[in-house]
Parts: sequence; structure tokens; C-alpha cells
Amino acid sequence: MEMAKKPGAGGSGEESAAWSIVGYLISGLVIWGAIGYGLDSWWHTHFALPVGLILGAGASLYLIWLRYGRE
Amino acid sequence: MHFQARGGFVAPGTEDFFLPTKLGFTSFESKAIYLAFFSVLLIGLFFYFSSRKAKVMPSKLQFAGESVYAFVRRDLGEDLIGHEFLRFVPFLFTLFTFVLVNNIFGIIPLIQFPTMSHVSFPYVLAIFSFVVFHYIGIRRQGLGKYLKGICFMPGVPVALYILLTPIELATYFVVRPVTLALRLFANMFAGHLLLLVFILGGDYLLHGGIVAKIASPFSFTFAIVMTFFELLVQVLQAYIFTLLTALYIAGALADEH
Amino acid sequence: MHGTLNLVGYGLSAIGPAVATGLIFAAYINGVARQPEARRVLQPIAFLGFALAEALAIIGMVLAFVLK
Repeated sequence: MEMAKKPGAGGSGEESAAWSIVGYLISGLVIWGAIGYGLDSWWHTHFALPVGLILGAGASLYLIWLRYGRE
Repeated sequence: MHFQARGGFVAPGTEDFFLPTKLGFTSFESKAIYLAFFSVLLIGLFFYFSSRKAKVMPSKLQFAGESVYAFVRRDLGEDLIGHEFLRFVPFLFTLFTFVLVNNIFGIIPLIQFPTMSHVSFPYVLAIFSFVVFHYIGIRRQGLGKYLKGICFMPGVPVALYILLTPIELATYFVVRPVTLALRLFANMFAGHLLLLVFILGGDYLLHGGIVAKIASPFSFTFAIVMTFFELLVQVLQAYIFTLLTALYIAGALADEH
Repeated sequence: MHGTLNLVGYGLSAIGPAVATGLIFAAYINGVARQPEARRVLQPIAFLGFALAEALAIIGMVLAFVLK
């Protein structure tokens, strides 16, 4: 068992990685999407939401690369 | 109920999860609450009797109880949390058995209602898990160091923290507990609804014309097949709920991040 | 019947990431089964690929709720 060799990893095990990746993606998109949505309704514009979503997706992918991509 | 609804099939919906109760003590009572209490009684009695006369050569009952315990202790505790796992085994074990029994209520004949399809139950369990893993992290590393570990990844240009810190905070404090609860809730809710659709649909077809009458047994057969599929989902969801709690505890215990 | 077609569209669009995730992990499992010592190299690649595929699914979910 590979998992048994690194106890307490909580971030580098495979099961944990798959769940955390989905969590990071959801929170990145939701947080920056919500900020974009808020700015849109404040400024009465339509561009901030897509920008926020793309920014959030990019930032969460970057975060995932930082956590799980580099060895 | 839908059995009286003639002249058109009424699809089951949210209102089927709020069944009328007979006793009428308070406005809080529902089938789900009775089932939660019943499950506690059931689990308590089962593990009391299975461990009462523990022998080296276990009886069948003792073997059943011990294998559940050994599963949680070894596969969820020791493998995931590491050398300090023993402190968390009671919590994980309680969580696992409670969720498991309440999920399996969904397919037990005459009960057939998963307690976790009322969203408040998974939320409370997720709050427990949330409090436990943050408390452990704060106890282990101190409040400031723990929050700093969550907010600031090492090895990132300073300007990018504006982008990354909100994501980290949202992940640890909102998304993790909410997804933990909603995953369990949504699986139980959808599974119960699926069974309702096939059983009520079969009943509706049975009262229809000749073609509908022929189609009806297929609907009932599929309902039975889906019942066994639901058993798989229910056990899996109880396992995943406990697994994720153990992983979060392991993450809070690890010093490095 | 009432509701929004956005969710039907999201359901269709989620097929793509689902297939992608399946292919990525199939290839990862194959690779590790053939050559277990390649695991450390393959694991980050597999999870980055999974993240990229999953990002599309979650963007789709957000858009399904946001677009009017």
C-alpha cells in the first residue's frame, strides 16, 4: 500500500489530491466569479463576471500546480 | 399521496420527503428525526451485544462488530492519519456507523427513508467535522501559524497572494464543509427520488391501459435493481464522508503546509 | 413542465470532461501498472490533466447557473 508509507500526508496522497483539486476549482471559480458578479452589479456592466471566472479558473489551476504539480 | 392522483402521473418531488407523522408532539418532529434516534439505539445495542462477551475465538456477532471497527481503525485511521490515529478512531467510528446505518435505512423494507436526505443532518455532521479538524490544526500549530499556513503558500510571488489567498480561505472554511455535507445529502436525496420515480411509475402504469400494464413490471424490476445499486451508493457515501474527515484531520495535523 | 434549458446544456457539456477524466486515469493506471516506479513522474501529470478537464466541467456548472 503506497498510502500507508506516507501517513499524515493529507495533500499528497492520491485520494486526497483528487478531492482537494475539485475543491480548489470550485472555490476559485465561485469566489472570483462572485467578486466579478458583485463588481458588475455595482458598475452596471457585463464584463467583470467572465473576467472573474477566467481569473478564478486560472488562479485555482496555478494553485493546484503549486500543490500537486511540482515535485 | 400519489396513489390517489388519477388522471395524470404526478412526478415525486420535494414534498415526498416531508411525511406526516402520527404522534404530533412538536413541530420539529419528522420521520428523519425518529430514524436518527432509532439508529443511535440500534448502533448502541449492536456494539454493546457484539462486544459484551468478547472472546479470543469470536462468535459471529462479535466478528461482525469487530470487522466494522477494524475497517475504520485500519483503513480510515491508521492508513490516512498516521501514528497519532488512535485519538481519532472513536470520532471516525461514530461518524461512519451513524452515517452508514442512517443511509441504509433508505432501502430497509418498511422504513425506506434515508435520514440524510434531510439536508440538516449532513450539515450538522459536517459542522462536527469542520470544528474537529480546525481545532486540531489550531491546537497543533497555534492560531496564527495555522492561518498563515492556510493563507500563504510558500514559493509564490507576493503579488499573487491577492489572487490565491481568497481561494485558500474559501476552500478551507466554506467549500470543504459545504461539499462534505452536500455530497452526502445529494446522493441520498437523488437516490430516494430515483426509487420513488420507478415505484410510483410502475404503480401508475399498472392502472393504465393494456400496453401500460405490460410495461409496469419492467418499472418495478428496475426499481428492485436500483435498490441494490442504492445499497452500493449508501455504503460508498458513508465511507467517503468518513474518509474525507480523516483526510482533513490528517491535513491539519501535518506541519508542512 | 417548467425549468431552464441551461441545466440540460450543462448535462450535455459535462459528458466531455467525464470522458476526459476517464481517459486520463485509464492512462495513468495503465502506466503505473506497467511500470510502478514511474508513479512519481506520472502522478503530477495525471492530476494536472484531471484538474484541467475538471475545470471545464466546473466552469460549465457556474455558467449554467449564471447565464440568463
